[in-house]
Parts: sequence; structure tokens; C-alpha cells
Amino acid sequence: MTGRQVAIVGIGQTAYGKALPGTAWDLALEAILGALADAGLEAADVDGICRFAPPFEPVSEPQLVRALGIPELRFFAESPLGGEALGAVLAHAAAAVTAGLASTVVVYRALSQSRGGRFGRADGRGPGGGPGGAGPEAGADVVVPEEDNRSFAWPYGLMSPGQLFALWARRYTIVHGLSDDDLTRALGSIAITQRAYAHGNPNAMMRDRKMDWDDYRGARMISEPLRLFDLCLENDGACAYVVTGADRARRLRDDPVYVLSATQTLSPYREPMGIYVTGELLELFPPATAMRLFAEAGVRRADIDVAEFYDATSYMPLRSLESYGFVPDGQAWRYVTETGTGPGSPLPVNTHGGHLSEAYLHGMNGVLEAVRQLRGTASNQVPGAEVALVGAPAGSAMILAR
Amino acid sequence: MAVVPGMTELTAPYWQAARENRLVVQECQSCRQLWHPPLPRCPHCHAAGPGWRQVSGDGTIYTYTVVRHPTHYAFADQVPYVLAIVELAEGPRLVTAITGAAPEEVRAGQPVRVVFREVADGVTLPYFALVRYQGDDHGTA
Repeated sequence: MTGRQVAIVGIGQTAYGKALPGTAWDLALEAILGALADAGLEAADVDGICRFAPPFEPVSEPQLVRALGIPELRFFAESPLGGEALGAVLAHAAAAVTAGLASTVVVYRALSQSRGGRFGRADGRGPGGGPGGAGPEAGADVVVPEEDNRSFAWPYGLMSPGQLFALWARRYTIVHGLSDDDLTRALGSIAITQRAYAHGNPNAMMRDRKMDWDDYRGARMISEPLRLFDLCLENDGACAYVVTGADRARRLRDDPVYVLSATQTLSPYREPMGIYVTGELLELFPPATAMRLFAEAGVRRADIDVAEFYDATSYMPLRSLESYGFVPDGQAWRYVTETGTGPGSPLPVNTHGGHLSEAYLHGMNGVLEAVRQLRGTASNQVPGAEVALVGAPAGSAMILAR
Repeated sequence: MAVVPGMTELTAPYWQAARENRLVVQECQSCRQLWHPPLPRCPHCHAAGPGWRQVSGDGTIYTYTVVRHPTHYAFADQVPYVLAIVELAEGPRLVTAITGAAPEEVRAGQPVRVVFREVADGVTLPYFALVRYQGDDHGTA
């Protein structure tokens, strides 16, 4: 899919918090209505919906059509595999608009972890489900249904993305010869930089929470080598955006954000989260994916003014800098320590605070931040930002431009 | 209380072998490639009807993590525990846990050997133990 045929014309979100009053359904409606209002559109204009597939996204198309009074949805599609849907949902929306299957497509993600389960609470569930079980009081064995090879991992207690990312981060130190302190300084640089961005972002859950090196290093280990502040927040909230054709976008507003490219990708054993890949575990996605993302957009790495990388843990922005081609393999740990990703750096990263310090919204809050950066309305505005990259771990990504 | 694997027609032979204290992986009956986890056909030559090959149980630690905070209540009283990806001498990698070692003893690249633990009635999981010195035939569980 190639440049500037479609645009994001509206963004909307809820507040983010540990436990918000609404259900995920309520939150989804608030974010979607906000995005439509931002675009100057009505619910009745919506004729397409693209979303993250269950069990990740709990709010269904019929729930939205009913609650919003959408007369007829003529295109709807779902993308599986959790965060890997991030670029895919936009690719589907853009393809639908360019193919004439829909004119106005809503993309959304709603999350109520206070009701739906939290890894940190060890309640047996997470945002994408989990082995579940009858609860600790019942004392009964928990049977892991076989799906995507999870029955070969969960019985050992490998159940959360944080634990998987810990295996990746440890592997990174092995392959590139880092000491534990090297890795701590690199991951801490990312976590502290993102926290500082959150301090400038009134939407960020951690806007008032200071974090210095003592706080970072002193936090408890969760899954070595990852500490508490290397892991994302768990929270409630919702994000939505509206995609339409470029001509209509220009009629709706002066500052549409154009989609230059959007990718999805799948290669063997990427589920669950790449743990059974037969090649090098550190490779997040085939190198051809990043080449395609940039080639279809018609831009080079140096053209990217700001990047919002999916950060279920602080390891992901580190490795994404390499995987998307901004820093050579094995160099990002030095890069984030010496050059950094903060204000005024060559490539500011996760300028909203990211999943670590704004909120966890499966990458969707990173899309909204990229749109704000390209409109020039971000809280931590990168001066003159014209092109942004939003990237998930497995190469599901987008390049956007004003 | 344990977390146990649900079994399918495809995966049951792996867990049945584990109950018999044997570690097996799938093997193509045509091109003889090995792989894990199980698939309905050979991913290399697409031959149907893969077989099962008993492997040595020897391997090395490819990567690992020491879990200090449980993400499921079934593991609340088991922290810290050491999750690992083990590369078998025969090639395929397994997700497993390291048993019989203090977390600080575990290093990448260390030789390990399979040990079997019954975690629930009729359910045995392959774990791995550090091979601590030359000539140790049985690992140390």
C-alpha cells in the first residue's frame, strides 16, 4: 500500500487509569465518539470498523453498531496476535478505503484490566486472557488448552509477555556480550527518558511520579533482568482513530495525517511471541518487513522525525531501534545510553511516555501520539515533525506524515 | 495445584512419552528433519505422518530468566524459579524450567540434562538440571 491515499482525520481517547468507572464497552464508545467529533463526523458516517481480534479486544462490532446506531457497516475486519495487530488494523482500514469497500473506518482498542485481569496481580488472567483457573482458594489444577503452542510453555510458569521479553533481553546480553550493568544502564535510560516525557504529558498515568536512577535500580526484579519499571503499566482506557480517503480528509480538516505505509507480517513460530523460532531469537521480524515499510512509504530512516515503539517492556524500544534499521544490530544499548531518545535527540522515542509511563493501550496510544506530533499539538512536541514511525515488536508498523 | 498442558491428538504423544520419562520430538519420516513443538506435517518437505524420535535429553541453556514475581497464582509459592529455552543436542529448542539449582548458578551456554517431574496425577513435565561436572550421567535433580 503506497503513500497519501488515505489519512487519519480524527483521534479520540478516554482518560487512563488503574480502575476507571466504565466497562470496556463504555470506554470504547467514549474514545470512538471523541475521534468522530475530532474529525467532524457523525456515527452515521461510519461504514467500516477494524479492530484487534479477541481475546485481546473485548468489545465487538455488533456492540458498537448497536450502541452507536450505525445504520450499516459494510466492512469489518479483525487482526489476531495482540500487539502484532497494531499496523495490521490500519493496513486493513487503508486497504478497505482504497478498494472502495468503505469510506469511513473506525479503528479502536478498549481495555478494562481492572475488570478483565492483570498479570501483576497474578489473578490467572491478562489482557489477552491467560490460563485462568478456579482461583487460589479452589486448589485445583489449571489445564492450559493447547493453542499456538502455549501448552508447552505455560505449565512451566511462562505466561506473560514480561517473562518472554526477559528471555529476549537476557539473550541480547549473551549475543552482544553485555554485562548486567550494561543492560541496566541501557534499559534504565529508556525507562527514565520515557518517564520524563510522561511528566510533560497531562494524559500520562505517571505524570506526577518522579523516577531517578536510584528509583529505577532500587525497584524489585520482576523477571530478571527486568525490573518493575522495565514493565508496562496495567490499566483501563481506550483509544480510537478514524481513517478516510485523502480527498475527503482534506475537506474535513486542514491537517490530516497521511498514511504512507502500514505493514503486517507473520513468519514461522511468531506465536506465541516468537518463542519457538528456529533462528536467532533476537530477530523480531524478517528484515524484508522493515525494507517494505520504508520502500512503500518512499522515505528513508533519516526522514523519520519521531518514533513511537511498542513497549510492553523497556527492551522493546531498544531492540526496535535496531530492527527498524535506525541503529546497527548490537549497538542500540550504547546508543540509548550515549545519544539517547529524549527531547532534542536525533530520534525522539515514545514522546508520550509510552506503555511504561503514559498507559498500556496495545500500541494504539502510540498511534494517537504520532498523530498529535504530526499535527503539531503534542505535549512534548518535536519541533517541525513531519514524518513518524509507529512500530510493534513483530514488524506490524506504520509510517505517517503530515 | 499445578498448571498442566491440555493435550490434543497432535501433542498427546509428547506428554505420554514424558510420563514414561522419555523426551521425544517430532521427526519427518521422509527427510529426517526434527522439530518442536509438534506439527501435522513436516515443515521442510511437507511429508505427512511425522514420527517421534527419542532424543538424548542433553542440551545447553540458550537463554533464561529468573522469575521473582508470579503472574499466575499457581506459581505464587514457587518464586523464584528459572525459566529457560534449552537447545537440545539434536537441534530443536524447548521452553522449560531449570530445576535443582540456585538462580545465581544458572548461566547461558551451560550444559543441562533432562529430568522428569510428575506435577499432577498422570502429568509429567520435562525439566532440565545443570550438568555440574564431567562424567555425571544423570544430571542432578
